[in-house]
Amino acid sequence: MSSQTVAALQAVLAAENAACYGYGVVGSHLTGTGLATTADSDWVAHQRARDSLTAMITAAGADPVPASVAYQLPAAVSTAGEARALAVALEDGVAQAYIGLVGLTDLTLRALGARGLQSAALRAAAWRRGTVAFPGLPAGSLRS
Amino acid sequence: MPVGPSRRAVLAASAAAAGALVTGCRGVQALGTPPPPSPEVRLLRAAITAEQLLIARYRVALTQAAAAGPGGHAAVAGLTAIAGEHAAHLAQLSARLVIPPGSALAREPKPSAGPAALPSGLTSAIAALAADEQAAAARLGGQLLAAPGSLAQLLASIAASEATHVPVLHALGRPA
Repeated sequence: MSSQTVAALQAVLAAENAACYGYGVVGSHLTGTGLATTADSDWVAHQRARDSLTAMITAAGADPVPASVAYQLPAAVSTAGEARALAVALEDGVAQAYIGLVGLTDLTLRALGARGLQSAALRAAAWRRGTVAFPGLPAGSLRS
Repeated sequence: MPVGPSRRAVLAASAAAAGALVTGCRGVQALGTPPPPSPEVRLLRAAITAEQLLIARYRVALTQAAAAGPGGHAAVAGLTAIAGEHAAHLAQLSARLVIPPGSALAREPKPSAGPAALPSGLTSAIAALAADEQAAAARLGGQLLAAPGSLAQLLASIAASEATHVPVLHALGRPA
């Protein structure tokens, strides 16, 4: 596995680590609401992705990037609406990381990136209650 | 290694000379079969045609939704939003496809964007669109494996967007 490939996987792992931390915050503000189950299942999905990426990076002979003790949240969260907005931000970050894998020449990782991107886009759309035209692509990468 | 002008340069030069000779009688067609377009151009053309077809089908569904009266208002809003995202996909794909005039592709007949027939009845039409979106996302998921990296990223993003349309359409198709 090339160093570029490992770096792309590390970027996805870092985003998944941030999502695992962030969904803890999301879930804590949705307890007792109808969205608690969604927050829980999305949290589990990110934990599984984190574990599988950690295993891939270890198998490639590299040290998986460790999770931080705490993460700076994009905005303060004290309401259910703010918790939903945080979930959207976390999924957007994860989607951007997975699209990095799609740019690689290794077709297995490219397919993994496309699947990860699609899952993140579906979760983001559910939290956003709406869709976007280009999940995972930063606005600056689009041609005007 | 060959010495002197490369085969490509010689071919280009003789093609130019042949072009000069036939100018005024039969045009560039007389040069014979031009090289086939690159796989990237083929992929772009396929993706563009798929988006055009989807947009045409949304147009048909929007007509049905508008004809449904007040009961179709939510469908009109939802379908308009999704059709707008497909228009954005089409614009990004088209911006990457440059076909020089006179090239083989410019002379190929443009693929038709129809037929856009949808089942009658708004609920069935919306269900058909959901199936279209699922199929389009799956097709792109395969095509992106054959694309250069940056086009693959655009195709993956479009596929993900199309996948997110499916649950929205299912919700729209459910009777309120």
